[in-house]
Amino acid sequence: MSKEQKEYLKKLKKEKYIIFFFQLLIIFTFLFLWEELSSKGIISSFIYSSPSRILKTINSLIINNNLFIHIWITLKETIISFVLGISMGFIIACLLYEFKLFAKVIDPFLTMLNSLPKVALGPLIIIIFGANIKSVIIMALLINLITSIITIYNGFIRTNEFELKLFETLNATKGQTLLYLIIPSSYQTIISSFKLCIAQTLVGVIMGEFLVSKAGIGYLIVYGKQIFNLDLVMTGIILLAILSYLLYKLVITLENKLLRQK
Amino acid sequence: MNNIIKIKNISKKYRNKNGEIDAIKNIDLEINQGEIISLIGPSGCGKSTLLSIIANIDKDFKGTINKDKNIKIAYMLQNDALLPFLTVYENILLSLKIKKCISKDKIDYINYLLKIYNLEEFKNSYPSSLSGGMRQRVALIRTLALKPDILLLDEPFSALDGKFRLLISDDVYQIAKKENITVILVTHNLEEAITLSDKVIVLTKRPSSIKKVINININKPTIYEKRIDTKFNYYFDELWKALDLNE
Repeated sequence: MSKEQKEYLKKLKKEKYIIFFFQLLIIFTFLFLWEELSSKGIISSFIYSSPSRILKTINSLIINNNLFIHIWITLKETIISFVLGISMGFIIACLLYEFKLFAKVIDPFLTMLNSLPKVALGPLIIIIFGANIKSVIIMALLINLITSIITIYNGFIRTNEFELKLFETLNATKGQTLLYLIIPSSYQTIISSFKLCIAQTLVGVIMGEFLVSKAGIGYLIVYGKQIFNLDLVMTGIILLAILSYLLYKLVITLENKLLRQK
Repeated sequence: MNNIIKIKNISKKYRNKNGEIDAIKNIDLEINQGEIISLIGPSGCGKSTLLSIIANIDKDFKGTINKDKNIKIAYMLQNDALLPFLTVYENILLSLKIKKCISKDKIDYINYLLKIYNLEEFKNSYPSSLSGGMRQRVALIRTLALKPDILLLDEPFSALDGKFRLLISDDVYQIAKKENITVILVTHNLEEAITLSDKVIVLTKRPSSIKKVINININKPTIYEKRIDTKFNYYFDELWKALDLNE
């Protein structure tokens, strides 16, 4: 390795540390100010809670053996909804591509569903599926499925026209074109849709938990609000922020790994 | 010579909401086995449409095309259309995979073509690492791998620069003559039409019909030698007049 290359790598590493340092600084400053303002009574600790009160709440949740159950339930619902959303989105996008007339028929319905505030369907979902995990998953699917269908389908229809023409000249069947051209060419789009889907899935899961669940982070937040324990609400929000960040990072790592393999 | 394909009274209309446009009108053409013919004419006159009809891609036309059911037709486009996510070898095998005709014979033939076109060492490379000329040769091998009886070429060399253009058109010429493949070439390049073909068909502007058929008779073994033959200028002049740029 040349001296210049070594210096370049060193510079990159230094930049990484600087970014990390400032990120930590922002977090700690925020936590410090929050704690100070709350303990000095400048902001109401009853409404806004404080980092120490949140730690106490987390501790009591651990003692009562509740914390990991709530996290696990939200995580389980998110993973199930995410996998279902991506795989159903992929299958429906394939069907739309294969049957263009069908795609034209359902286009306005997809647009309508995409712009409809899904929370409005909440009461209906509870009545049909009951107050259980099924309703949470349906709510998450209502939100992530449309996005994954539209993203994957748009990837399909952006396939290079010359490559499509080649398949036409080879008199390839629709199935062959889909299998050998459309799906492999859209690989990157399909993988990128994971990122969009995970964020939407969490929105759907929390919305579902708000409406029906008896456990999960969304439930903690709603329960906290009902009993006016705003420490619990804040704890739920912080746990959710950490969980969504970790899930997003996990999806990005998976995405990079899959794209590198190709 | 045997007719490999007989085109009788072919007409084609394009339709849209605003009405119909005549693309091709009453074309009759008889093509012999092993013959190389060029279709030349103004832009948008329907040359590529005629190829699509012959290749059975476009089925919405009037008239008849008589050819043996077992005749294999391969089509090569202006754009190499190599799939970026497949290696050179996988790209070549693709045509056989789609036609479901992978055999030891054809694999050996592919390996032979890769060797004579100096592409053997790039077999496992991805298309992005090849030059334009190399990519077009891979596309040519992919087309030839099908061992076609008729080879349809839609301006396949137009994206290439001078030297490669000459080299690859000579590749096509040599292989077509050696293996007795019938070639129908669509081109805008008069030089290419004269040096490659046994017959040049000049088409009128849209709706296209046959304006003139010029038989080319330059008895030389390579494209380069045909190009420097004294008869070349004569045919060039004939074609130039037939095309009538004021039309």
